[in-house]
Amino acid sequence: MGYVAVKGGTLAIEESIKRLKYERLHKEQVLETRQIEGGMRGLIDQVMSESSLYDEKLAALAIKQAEGNPEEAVFLLRAYRSTLPRKHSSQIIETGQMKVERRISASFKDIPGGQILGATTDYTHRLLDFNLMKETEESVSEWLSNYALEHRANEMLQDAPELALPKVLDYLRKEGLIPPLENNDAEPDDVTRESLEFPSSRSQRLQILTRGETGAVTSLAYAVIRGYGALHPTVGELRVGSLPINVEHPNEAGSDEDEYYIGEIKTTEAEMLMPFMIEKAKGKKELEFEIGYGLCFGQNETKAIAMGILDNCLEHPDNSFPSHNEEFVLLHIDSVESTGFISHLKMPHYVTFQSKLDSVRKTKAKAEEREEVQAYE
Amino acid sequence: MKRKQRTEILIEGSHELAKSLANEIEQKYSVSVIQEPEHGLVMLKVRETSRKSLFYLGEVLVTECKAKVEGKIGMGIVKGDHPDLAYQLAVIDAAFLGNLPETKPWAGILEIEKYYIDQKRKAKNEEILRTKVSFETMDV
Repeated sequence: MGYVAVKGGTLAIEESIKRLKYERLHKEQVLETRQIEGGMRGLIDQVMSESSLYDEKLAALAIKQAEGNPEEAVFLLRAYRSTLPRKHSSQIIETGQMKVERRISASFKDIPGGQILGATTDYTHRLLDFNLMKETEESVSEWLSNYALEHRANEMLQDAPELALPKVLDYLRKEGLIPPLENNDAEPDDVTRESLEFPSSRSQRLQILTRGETGAVTSLAYAVIRGYGALHPTVGELRVGSLPINVEHPNEAGSDEDEYYIGEIKTTEAEMLMPFMIEKAKGKKELEFEIGYGLCFGQNETKAIAMGILDNCLEHPDNSFPSHNEEFVLLHIDSVESTGFISHLKMPHYVTFQSKLDSVRKTKAKAEEREEVQAYE
Repeated sequence: MKRKQRTEILIEGSHELAKSLANEIEQKYSVSVIQEPEHGLVMLKVRETSRKSLFYLGEVLVTECKAKVEGKIGMGIVKGDHPDLAYQLAVIDAAFLGNLPETKPWAGILEIEKYYIDQKRKAKNEEILRTKVSFETMDV
């Protein structure tokens, strides 16, 4: 499609930007970014995940500026990210080191280390809590003191176990239920540095899935389960927790202990189990499991599970299902790409549309002319 | 004490500690800032557990600073927007690289801070473990 530049409207554009500010401010409420950071954890996590940039403060600022609109906030953060230099790549992060805050399995009741519910809405009634309309700083601080008091009784138990728990998959591998694997340390591809080409690599697929738009990733994974795909997944393990980040000294080779620790990030990891039949010798069939993998920033469980489902779909290309087609999935789940393209339809298309209109007019005129000639005859 | 443990204590512990250690060096030596604290990104390289291969999860905002003390260049790098802490970490890093005598008693101070960090973590773990659940399957 050809584009033709248009000009004009400078004053109207300036007034439009003022009007945008007016819409944000006319209720005379100044939303502090630390309030957004403190109270909108779900949105912060979603925006960080989709923008591929981990920083709660910047995410809060983007949400404020975007008036809570995630697609706009993600756009702002992606643009800001492109202005910063990349200083380092982290050392390899092993998710087995996660300091777990929540960890469940829908496949196995008794997993080594146990199931930990952590903070979840899964068991809440989903009834609107009208008390939140009356919540004050005093009531919050009273609740927090009571919470601290409740837990103080346990302070004597100083031998609380470390919450770096074994992975369910490792347990299954030890049992021989999943084939063992060696680490593959091949350098991953980076979709932010090199354009995606098909067929894509596994590292490209996982990078695009983890920064995919939450709703899009979820919708496609839902379609898979509803029959527009060939998978029947179960959550092998879902965990939420913090991962430590370390970087190497830029010029100094040293041991692991000479690295710089820079802080922790919160992530959600999903390991999805997909049963499938394989044909062994003499036509014998056996049930085996494959694993779909999901990992994303923040506590973002639906997305991590959906990512795990799509990961496995893309490992098994099948043109009968769009969900197993990497071009279909990977090119449509990016928030900035998809919303940007849909939004561009609002921009002036006068020349292209006029040429279409001219063509319709000409066709109509010819048809009318023919009708007139036929009527004469 | 090795750098990884030291930086973890200084970042996860009270930031007042980094401030006081860097201050001690500033008072006795001339510190030159090679690179002012500036924002940048660290790309996160993760091992996925399905095929055990590597992929990039995304980037994290960091503040990085470089400072020179007694001919040694130290680097301070920390997640988020923390220009003061990045500078203090750089000074402390340079002091350790130069093996300055002031760093000798620091190991003990850092160990004490580590104890408090561990206590906080244990308390947090205890709180989390209150949500540990034992699911039972019901006979139908």
